[in-house]
Amino acid sequence: MNGLNGAALKVMVVEDNQHFRLLIRTVLQTLGITQVEEARDGADALARLHHFAADFVIVDWKMEPMDGIAFAHHIRWSPDSPNPTLPIIMVTGYSEPALLAEARDAGVNEFLTKPISAKGLVGRITSLIAAPRPFVRSETYFGPDRRRRQLPFSGPEQRSQSGYQGPVLVRS
Amino acid sequence: MTAKVEILDDPSPLKNKVSYGDGGIDADVIARAEQVVAAMQGDYLNWVVDDLDKLTQYYSQAAQLPAADRLAVMRELFGVAHDIKGQGGSFGYDLMTLIASQLCRFIEGCTDFNDLAMDVVAVHVEALRLVIADRLEGEGGVPGKKLLVGLDAVLKKAGLPGDE
Repeated sequence: MNGLNGAALKVMVVEDNQHFRLLIRTVLQTLGITQVEEARDGADALARLHHFAADFVIVDWKMEPMDGIAFAHHIRWSPDSPNPTLPIIMVTGYSEPALLAEARDAGVNEFLTKPISAKGLVGRITSLIAAPRPFVRSETYFGPDRRRRQLPFSGPEQRSQSGYQGPVLVRS
Repeated sequence: MTAKVEILDDPSPLKNKVSYGDGGIDADVIARAEQVVAAMQGDYLNWVVDDLDKLTQYYSQAAQLPAADRLAVMRELFGVAHDIKGQGGSFGYDLMTLIASQLCRFIEGCTDFNDLAMDVVAVHVEALRLVIADRLEGEGGVPGKKLLVGLDAVLKKAGLPGDE
């Protein structure tokens, strides 16, 4: 059996609805993840992350006063960030493409639409663990590589034709 | 112009903290997680009643106000409906998600919460109550289909925005 023993993992659940928090915590427990800290919104989570070194967070989008996007932006960019490369799974009832793009551009690793299923949540957690994407840092973006697949391309490169010389890749 | 792009390979390696097989998580683990969530259905049926009561309270509160002053209360009602939409399917009540989704889309698209619009909201709230009262699990079978057809008819009759 290819199980997963996540007993050593620490996870923060950031969600303003107590029932969703319970649902997520319950699924985590089936993976052996019992070190779970709960926060009610992004600001609460940021404060708690300074004394709870989460290995990844599961965060809702719509919360007040700080929503999930603002939270992700703070994690990735703020000098006060407790961990700029912290893996983030965003959970939301909104699935419009523009909103998904906003989450991706904020540096969210994985996205899950409500109503969530145990299979969906376990799948996102598995992706974080088994298929982590490299992080990319540029002037305007910091987060997991937004290209999930590297596909071959045989046509002319627009950037080379326009005289664009970059980017210079530096692998850390 | 040359832009500098830095690549960091797996900066937060979680693999080191878990014991994990080569072939991925097998179906047993997912099945167990699904069973545990399914076992929460009883709890869901308890707390969703609280959410339904909140919907009714917000509806009554808004209905007592002049149409022009209802928006703030309807936003509160939207928040509860959105939670119901997000939870139903997780606990085997997909019909709750479908109806609450339709209610949310209606509220989002509504620019005037006049009495006709309030009637549409009331019908959706009653439909949500019926789903729970009659334990219409999944998409509710034939009764569920009839309920959705009826709600569509209400939206069309009212000529107001609903779910696309």
